[in-house]
Amino acid sequence: MRTFLGLAGFTLLLAACGGAATPAASSPPASSPAASPSAAGSAAAKPAASAAASAPASAKPAAGASAPAAGNFDGTLLIGAPVSLTGDNNNEGKLTQQGYDLWAEVSNSKGGVNVGGKHYQIQLKYYDDQSKQDQSALITEKLISQDHVQFLLSPYATAPTFAASAISEKAKMLMVDSNGAANSIFDRGFKYVFGVLSPGTKYLTGVEDAWLAQDPKPTKLAMVAANDAFSLEVAKAAHDYATQKSLQVVYDQSYPPDTKDLSSSLNQIKAAGADVLLGSGHLTDSLLLMKQVKSLGVSFKGIGLSVGPSTPEFSNALGKDAQGIFSGVQWVPEQKSTGPVLGSAQDYTQAFQKKYNALPEYHSADGAAAGLALQLAIEKAGTLDMDKVRDTLAALSVDAFFGHIQFDSRGLNVDKPMVEIQLQGADNKQVPVWPDTAATGKILWPLPA
Amino acid sequence: MHYLQFVIDGLLLGGVYAAVGIGFALVWGIMNVVNLAHGALIMLGAYVTFWLYRLAGVDPLLSIPISMAVLFVLGWLIQRVLINQVIRAPLLVTFLMTFGLELMIVDLALNFFSADNRSVQSFYSGARWEFAGITIPQVHLYTLLIALALAAAMQLFLTRTTIGNAIQATSMDLDAARLVGIRIGRVYALTFALGAAAAGAAGSLISLNYAISPGAGEFYTPIAFVVCVLGGLGTINGALIGGLVFGVVQSLSQAFIGPAYQNAIAFGLLVLVLLLRPSGILGKAT
Repeated sequence: MRTFLGLAGFTLLLAACGGAATPAASSPPASSPAASPSAAGSAAAKPAASAAASAPASAKPAAGASAPAAGNFDGTLLIGAPVSLTGDNNNEGKLTQQGYDLWAEVSNSKGGVNVGGKHYQIQLKYYDDQSKQDQSALITEKLISQDHVQFLLSPYATAPTFAASAISEKAKMLMVDSNGAANSIFDRGFKYVFGVLSPGTKYLTGVEDAWLAQDPKPTKLAMVAANDAFSLEVAKAAHDYATQKSLQVVYDQSYPPDTKDLSSSLNQIKAAGADVLLGSGHLTDSLLLMKQVKSLGVSFKGIGLSVGPSTPEFSNALGKDAQGIFSGVQWVPEQKSTGPVLGSAQDYTQAFQKKYNALPEYHSADGAAAGLALQLAIEKAGTLDMDKVRDTLAALSVDAFFGHIQFDSRGLNVDKPMVEIQLQGADNKQVPVWPDTAATGKILWPLPA
Repeated sequence: MHYLQFVIDGLLLGGVYAAVGIGFALVWGIMNVVNLAHGALIMLGAYVTFWLYRLAGVDPLLSIPISMAVLFVLGWLIQRVLINQVIRAPLLVTFLMTFGLELMIVDLALNFFSADNRSVQSFYSGARWEFAGITIPQVHLYTLLIALALAAAMQLFLTRTTIGNAIQATSMDLDAARLVGIRIGRVYALTFALGAAAAGAAGSLISLNYAISPGAGEFYTPIAFVVCVLGGLGTINGALIGGLVFGVVQSLSQAFIGPAYQNAIAFGLLVLVLLLRPSGILGKAT
């Protein structure tokens, strides 16, 4: 009996962990229409099979190159990135890739990367990391040592970027991070990783700012967070900021992944008399939280979630229950910002729509901005020398379609604010409501009980 | 805020867990097959409800019989075509077979349904009853009641009908059952089909309570396992009690120690039960 249970436990563990690797899907053709920008659920593709690194996805020469190809490196600038094309984060991974591809295409059509008068065509090399951080690290190793890429762009999300950047740092290879937002990536004293996006600590503080400017002001804040590094970091920053702004935190707890029930927590929050709620977690957590807030009849003046509301999946799944929810996003098509190569936020939006036949959202904009930052640093340095490009990037201060890009000593783009959105109207339109430079609509406040 | 609310929260959550455990317990108890594809079958049941709701506007509760019927047929086929071929083989073989099946079903679902999280909304989705400071969400209560009804129906079927008795006889003594003319292959097919139908019902209930995605089922196979071990191996009543106890322990630990510890404590309870009462809460002491 005991052996049997051990065996059962082992097999269940296998089932839970999802075995080893999926054979890699090759990257979709650049012309493929955009997948609807939605976050993947907990659905992991999880065949057992070989633990070997993924088969190479076909390297994709960026389309539309019209630049004169010259220079001593056969005229191309080879940039590598692990991307999540399968697994939990396949949607966001593909969006990130679309951003990289769009940047490369637009940039190549304008003459590529100008390095001291020589034009280099950008070529991107991807492998699927299956949304797994160990795969991301392996792929980074492979891109550096076998494919001899010249620079790196990051995979999607904090955990893979954390793992991949440890490898690139060892090789003294520059990695521009598009979608890994946790401070933990940048708190290791690394010299060769830079993130263009607003750090995780800003995800919910903007929501608090927006709320605190309303009448009547919120007085009691309740918070729940998934207990992974990123969600906890977001929650802690929001907690500290609330305290600083004299918004009383009456409940702050974390929950394990795969939680199926937060009823007891919500009943406690209700009893504590909280009038605003912040949730820091993943899409499935956000959906669970909203469903249970609704079914338990706990009402708040405002609800803000770190992840979820900016995906169509969230409003599709919740319908009218999603109305009025706040979230922070890195970028909105409506924002007033403009800069080199990709033009203004609106120019970027047009180019994206033309290429992918879908409205751009921030994951892809993060990707394009990462590529753009790398290009601008190389062009300013006027050389492909790693350390010179690195130093130029570290000192870069530029306005772009994405907003301001400038790094602090850790490599974080700390000054860029998040844009706060609120889902409004029958179709849950994402209306930018904060800060004023990006707002196109008025805040709905307080939420109807 | 009193304890009663948290106990009720836990019982309601336990309804979901019990529904998840019933089909698993049946297949395990009768056929001695630990069905690792149980979670995937639950997920399919959830999608039956989702698509009926999305495409035809069928109320999630009304779709339960349909998802049970669909899963019954699927379960029957799986048993006849696949598992019956290896039922005599060592346990590990059915283990691996159902594990492979689970991967296959989930990947097919990913392919056809996409990885998106989906959700059904009914007119009673946000409805609840409140009295004396206690809140009972209607959806959660329906879930618990249906889980109870499901357990009672299964139990009655097994004890009060000739076919049910044949199923039980098969699990008690295979050779004797065959001697009295019971067709084992059919009994097994029926058992597995019933287990799958129960998974279908659980899936429908889950789609009513939570967002679903193709991977949503994988969480429930370990839950089914734990619930069955907790309550007593392979019995319907055991699954029911195990589910409710598991739910209440999770809810109370969430409320009083913090949600971060709810799993550690609930699974810690499992370890304790295995140490002190290896045959489960309802199991006979050996």
